[in-house]
Amino acid sequence: MASILQFIANGLVFSSIIVLGSIGLSLVYSIADFANFAHGDTMTIGAYGALVTFGLVGGVGGTFLGLPLGFYIALVVGMGLAAVVAVITHVFVYRPLSTTSIGLLITSIGVAFVYRAGLQAIFGTDFRNYDVPRSGPLPFIQDSLGIAVTARGLAIVVLAAILVAGTHALLQYTTLGRKMRAMADNPDLARVSGIRTKRVILATWVIGSALAAAGGVFLGLFSQIDPRIGFDLLLIIFAAVILGGIGSVYGAMLGGFLIGMIHELTPLLKDVGIPIGIQYAPAVAFVIMVVVLLARPRGIAGELT
Amino acid sequence: MSTASLTDRIGSFSRGEQVATAGVGLLAAVLLVGVVVGWITVTYLLYLVALAGMYVLLSMGLNVQWGYGGLINFSVAAFFGVGAYGSALLTADSSPVAGGFSPVVGLVAGLLVAAVLAVIIGIPTLQLRDDYLAIASLGLAEVVRMIVLNEREITAGSAGLTGIPLFFADWPVLGSLEYPFVLYVGDTALFTMERSLLIAELNVLLVVVFIAVVYLFLRRIHLSPWGRVLRTIRTDEDLAKSLGKDTYRFKMQAFVIGSVIMALAGVFYTHLVLYLNPQDLAPVLTFYVWIAVILGGSGSDRGAIFGGFTIIALQQGTRFLNAAGTIPVDPAALRLMIVGVLIIAIVRVRQEGILPPEKELIWPGSTEGSADE
Repeated sequence: MASILQFIANGLVFSSIIVLGSIGLSLVYSIADFANFAHGDTMTIGAYGALVTFGLVGGVGGTFLGLPLGFYIALVVGMGLAAVVAVITHVFVYRPLSTTSIGLLITSIGVAFVYRAGLQAIFGTDFRNYDVPRSGPLPFIQDSLGIAVTARGLAIVVLAAILVAGTHALLQYTTLGRKMRAMADNPDLARVSGIRTKRVILATWVIGSALAAAGGVFLGLFSQIDPRIGFDLLLIIFAAVILGGIGSVYGAMLGGFLIGMIHELTPLLKDVGIPIGIQYAPAVAFVIMVVVLLARPRGIAGELT
Repeated sequence: MSTASLTDRIGSFSRGEQVATAGVGLLAAVLLVGVVVGWITVTYLLYLVALAGMYVLLSMGLNVQWGYGGLINFSVAAFFGVGAYGSALLTADSSPVAGGFSPVVGLVAGLLVAAVLAVIIGIPTLQLRDDYLAIASLGLAEVVRMIVLNEREITAGSAGLTGIPLFFADWPVLGSLEYPFVLYVGDTALFTMERSLLIAELNVLLVVVFIAVVYLFLRRIHLSPWGRVLRTIRTDEDLAKSLGKDTYRFKMQAFVIGSVIMALAGVFYTHLVLYLNPQDLAPVLTFYVWIAVILGGSGSDRGAIFGGFTIIALQQGTRFLNAAGTIPVDPAALRLMIVGVLIIAIVRVRQEGILPPEKELIWPGSTEGSADE
């Protein structure tokens, strides 16, 4: 029983990262209208942006949730950097194109390579880590539930929950959020109603990329950083977005949560007699994605939003 | 042919054809100088040509799927890998399952397995919308790579397979040639040839034969009613459906044909490089082939040939620049950057590619009557 709880705790941390990635991918899918293969590398940009900033500011001040305050500065800078890069890319690469959504999809692969090549040229391919001291499992959780949860794991879950709640508030209770939902529903109708669609698209890129960058920073905190982390995670994020229903932000949250959990719960398959090892965790996610595409192409929350 | 008619012909080249001709000419000149000066050996040059031929095969395979039928297949590396592993596992000394068969058996097995895998992957994915197909096929390709990497008892895992024989190792004459090969006329040795050079030449010959067979086959089916239906599906699938065509079946056929050609490239690669590991199935191969196809011109087989050679020029050019010490950055990063910029540039500047299909779609001779008037 304790081991199941432990897997669920790990799943929560991993799900938080996937959810942050999924929201941005789904937003861009619904408003800019293409599958953005550069989204994973946007996460990587955020991770490296935070790495450099954290190296500069160090652990200034005290700590919050077990992380030095300097890390929060680094997180914000990483999110900002990814947003700036995404807006520049949109203005100079995607916007001038006169092509279909398939053309944009292919272009985004080129963009992904350019991002990754840039990071690789600057930082090399070595693994790096945030210089945050590692601590053992939190004693009060270990005593009460008998499972090991580290301070950084808890911090990732709490911070991701705050960002998700913020996104929800933005979409539901602000004018920008209403405009974004209107555009996702029907871009032409949104335009004739006087919504400045160009600005809404820019805002979409900013929000989606900043959330992705936060996911990238947490991914770096959770494991380690190298130029491939984002691209390697991209397919799992796609699986989450498709499971939730492409274009649906709330579906992406739910899909991200489920895929993250399934990914971390794969070891349990052995216990119920299915001989699939942990190394096939991503494969299980892809197979679920294909099954969902066939059985219910609109995903589990396709009609919401 | 007189000089005047030759210049007339060059003058009638489209802009893309002029660019392609100039590029090929320049590359050939550089390579020729390179061989004369001694930067590269003839053996290595032939090896590169063979490798380019492999990319040509892969590009022609993808061309059937994307160029003719509009199917976004991001699992090129998987089919390449199935062909390569299928043949290697049957022929290699170090094979954990059943080594020692003739490479011809390996070829047939590799192609068969690829065809079966294409059907298995195609059944769920070909019913999907275009962009879903892209995501799903990339995911399934990763599943194939994971299986090859993790099922050590079958594929030898990350250790890779060694001891793979040459493709013509057990052929009657070619397999039993004595090295170094010396051609005697009477008692005087006319010329001698090193083993590596002879093998390189035979490999080039082999890939040229493969390409020629595939090219003629594709040209034939492209001009057939089957090819016309496929082009209709690419342009407007609903239209094809409303004309009573079972579009799913046509797409499946294109998917299988393309995948088998990719597997053929894999089989050739196995017996060219003689070493195989799961790294060869990395997704980057898929995107190299995509560049070759969209750069050359989607739906154009001469474009695929042009694209295949461009990829080798790109890979070797960056390696060469690095060896010459002229660039301060990591060559892998530079290559990735060029690949990325190239993709963006093609979509931005010339979506139809450099050599888009023009006269290929017309039966030879069918326009001659009007042209002569």
